[in-house]
This record gives sequence, C-alpha cells and structure tokens, in this order.
Amino acid sequence: MRRALTAGDIVSRIKANLGIPWRDTTYRDTFKFGSADTEVRGIATTVFCSFDVVRRAAEAGCNLIVPHEDTYWNDRDDVTVVSGDPLYKTKVDFMTKNNIVVFRIHDHMHSQRPDFLYVGSARALGLDSKYETAPQSHRFVIPETTLGALAADFQKRLGAKAIRVAGNPNAKVSRIQLGVGYATPAVNNPDVDVVVSGELQENDGGFDSPEYVLDAVSLGINKGWIMLGHAVSEEEGMLEMAQWIKAFTPEVPVQLVRAGEPFWVPKI
Amino acid sequence: MNPISRREFVTLTAAGVLAAPGVFHSRSAYAQASLTAQQIVDRIRQRAGVEWKTATVDAFKAGDPATAVKGIATTAMATMDVLKEAVKAGANLVITCEPTFYSRADSPSPGGARRGGPAGPDAVFTAKNEFIERNGLVVWRFSDHWRLRTPDPLSVGLADALGWARFKAADDPRLITAPVIALDSLASDIKQKLNIGGGIRIVGDPRSRIQKIGLLPGTTAIQAALSLFPKVDAIVGGEVREWESVELARDKVTAGENKSLILIGRVVSENPGMNAAAQWLKTVVPELPTTWIPVTDPYWRPA
Repeated sequence: MRRALTAGDIVSRIKANLGIPWRDTTYRDTFKFGSADTEVRGIATTVFCSFDVVRRAAEAGCNLIVPHEDTYWNDRDDVTVVSGDPLYKTKVDFMTKNNIVVFRIHDHMHSQRPDFLYVGSARALGLDSKYETAPQSHRFVIPETTLGALAADFQKRLGAKAIRVAGNPNAKVSRIQLGVGYATPAVNNPDVDVVVSGELQENDGGFDSPEYVLDAVSLGINKGWIMLGHAVSEEEGMLEMAQWIKAFTPEVPVQLVRAGEPFWVPKI
Repeated sequence: MNPISRREFVTLTAAGVLAAPGVFHSRSAYAQASLTAQQIVDRIRQRAGVEWKTATVDAFKAGDPATAVKGIATTAMATMDVLKEAVKAGANLVITCEPTFYSRADSPSPGGARRGGPAGPDAVFTAKNEFIERNGLVVWRFSDHWRLRTPDPLSVGLADALGWARFKAADDPRLITAPVIALDSLASDIKQKLNIGGGIRIVGDPRSRIQKIGLLPGTTAIQAALSLFPKVDAIVGGEVREWESVELARDKVTAGENKSLILIGRVVSENPGMNAAAQWLKTVVPELPTTWIPVTDPYWRPA
C-alpha cells in the first residue's frame, strides 16, 4: 500500500524546491498547529489563517493550511499572549476536530526569487513587468496618470473597499514603488512618485510617509501614498504560492482560500 | 533702534534690563517677551504630575528654546499646514504629539531616515526647516508624558469630541456606555463628528448593536485589544497592527461574538487629546494665548 502523504512530506518538498537554503532560525516559518505526521487530503494557501479561512478550508477538504501571516493574532504566534481569550480555545478546538495542520511560510517566501507576494500584487494591480525598471526592483514607470485615477484603477481591479490614499488626487504620477504587507518603502525617494503597499505605522517609525506626503502636497511636490491593507496587498501572492506547491504535489488538491478584506467603510 | 538679536533680547528681558516698570502687571500685554519656550517647557514638566523620563521623545525638535513665546499652538502633528496655521494664529511655540521630521528620530535632515533613496538635500525637509527658521518657530514634542497623565487625556479628549463626556466610566475614561446604536450608524456618526475623510475602517457586522465602547487612541498592540474586548461591544481605536487586533476582531465576528473594531487613524485619534492639551496649557501658562490646531485626516478614498 502506498504510504500516506503527510504534512511533513509536503513541508520537506517546499524546503527542497525553494531554491534557497532553509533557515531553521526563523520563528515564523514553523508548524503553528497539528502534527507533521498528519495525512494531508488537500492544501489551502492563504494570507491570514483566520478562523473563517480555517472553516472554509475544512469545508473544501483541505486540512493543511499554509498561511503567510500569523494564526494567533501576534507575529510570533506566542499562544501565551492570547490563550486567556476563549476565542483561542474555540479556534484550536475547531482545528483539532477537523484534523487541521498549519504551517506558516513568510520569511522564506520573501527570500525566494521571485518573491510571489510582489508577483501576485503586481499582477492584480495591472503593473505589467514591461513597466518594471529592473527585475525584482518592484519599481514601475507607467504612462503618466493622476494619483486619483491610479488609485481608482487599483480599487476597481482589486474590488477593495478600504484603500487609503494620501496626496493630491490631481498630482501627475508615473513612477511607482511597490511594497507588500508591512514591507512598505519610504515615499521620500526622489525617484519615486507613489508608494503602493499594504500597511505601515502612520507615525513615529523609521520613516513617516503619510506626514511627508501631507507636507509635500502643501509645497506642491507630487507624492502619493496608497495603502491597500495588509490582507489585500498579500492575498494575491498566495495564489502564486498555491500554484507553485501544486507543481510538486500532484497527489492532493491545492487551492487558494481567500481571507478577503477585513474592512468595510461607512456609506456616509 | 539698537540692533539686538532675538536671543539677546530674551536674555536682557529675562534679566529685567529692558523691562519698563509695571509692564509685567499688564494682563493685556500677551505679547510681552516674558517667557521663553524653555521656561514654558520647564513649567509643563513641573506641572505635568508625572515623573519625567530620561529616555523620551518629549524634547525640542526645531527652533531656539530661548525664543520669547508670543503664543502656543498644540497639535497632534506639526505638519506644514499646521505650522502655517500656527503662524496665522500668532503662535510661535508649537507643541506636537507626533514627530515633525517624519520619523521617531525626528532629525531635521533626511540622513539615515532616507530608506532606499540617494543621499542629498530633500526639498520637503529643506522647505520645512526654512519655514520654521523664517517664522521664528519653536517646536516641542509632548507625547510620552501627556499620555502618562491620569485620567488618560487622549481618551478623555476623544470621548468628549464624540459627545460621550457623560457616558464615561468614573474610574476609566476609555470605557463608554452609550445609548444602543447599530454599528453602521455609530461608524457614520464618528466619521462626521471627527471630520474623518478616507481613514476610517471597520471590522464587524454593520447591523450589530453597540452599547459598550472602548477607546484606544494612538497606536496599540494586541494586548490592549485582548484586555479591552471582554468589557465592550466595540473598540474605537487609532491605529493597530492589522495582523494583530484587526484579525482578532475578524475572528471574533466569525465565532459569533458581538465585537467590532472601528479604526479612525492614529493622528485623527490624537486630535482631541491635543485639544485637551491646549485647555490644560491655558491653566499652566495663563499669560499666553494657546490654540489647538487639528490635523486633517491624511487619507482619502478613491472615487
């Protein structure tokens, strides 16, 4: 009889196919729930291992979940931080009952070439590779448009509700620096008109781009800042990740289970 | 008139050399050069009622502390627009909650804060420095110690701005018990009352009924949301990390808990708390006019 395909087997294949050495020092890219010996019936990739994603993955027959981000609402997935909240037990009980295994892939995805998070985001935003100034630069020079038109185009393509933009909507822009998730470039690079990324703290950090953009607007300097939201920014790249895993895991179905945008905005 | 520099003038005035008899008794003489920015900061430190930290961002960020102060402006963030408003209002000491020069380091030159860009002059930094210099402004940051005061003035200010002054818990201004309202109506109310543009984002069922509300102005980590959620139906917060409190709120909704999260933006959430700072400063520095200058929501949404 053929030996069952386990979560451990699949993780070994992921490590073998990455094209870069695996770093065991990462606290992120580890099993977050379940046993490596568990037999896998289907694989779900996702940006966030939300409770909703876990439930829909289970419904779809996927019991190995490969999220890019955390499962227990903190980056280190330190359960001592969250175990006092009954929701932790609810989520864990559901995963136990449904024989779920969670293996996070974050650091190695960003080290892999290409980094699928950028590939997926650029694809979804319509930032064609012919516009990228150099491979892996994530810098695109597109035909001149306005910040308002660019943001509206991104919103339409993504179907996102809560995109946030800083800058003059009428500013002429063409040079875009793409970031993903929290890996958000600073906006004060003189070779860049607009930064598009997922999330970054507003102030009091390494570089506070929203304030810089406000001041640039006040001075008539064209700068733009488009925050898609963390989940929206990195969700698409998990489709590339699913396709990549599928290529070396023909035995079981592999699919993206979308976490979706967590936010809505008031009508008025 | 003898050409004397501003600094000399301040020194001479402080020493009483230039002071005409009786001038310090005039209540209407707001403009008299009797207090320097440094003296005002010293007074704030004495009156803050909290132990002053050795490691703190609360320090002068621009201008000469020996400058004679004509008026004070408080703000959540000393943007160019805010500095222009301050000058219009006749204020030359700006007290800001957030940085002036686009980073926690708050260095007036781009320096190490410039990630990924070539070194060299930066038009925005240059123009801001020039504006401050030309208008004789002094900028002092007041964040760490203002937040330390009890009750938390940022929560008090936010509650007051939202019309919840009488709904605050006696022992904790972060806890509001208000008349029951649907989440979508509450979100629209907050958006209008705080004049928010595109910076408001909500997690939760729009029809859920909200009565107990928790306030988390500024920026907060997961621990704050974990400790507050059991006491409230909705959290109104400034800024959180999306992989932390946003995903926690989303999972609570999935699990059927009546919990919601309304994010209004860090700076917007700190606006009312700096209005509270202006009101407090009027009692600390009654000799000088103090104005609060709100920061406009940095964000808009595509049409």
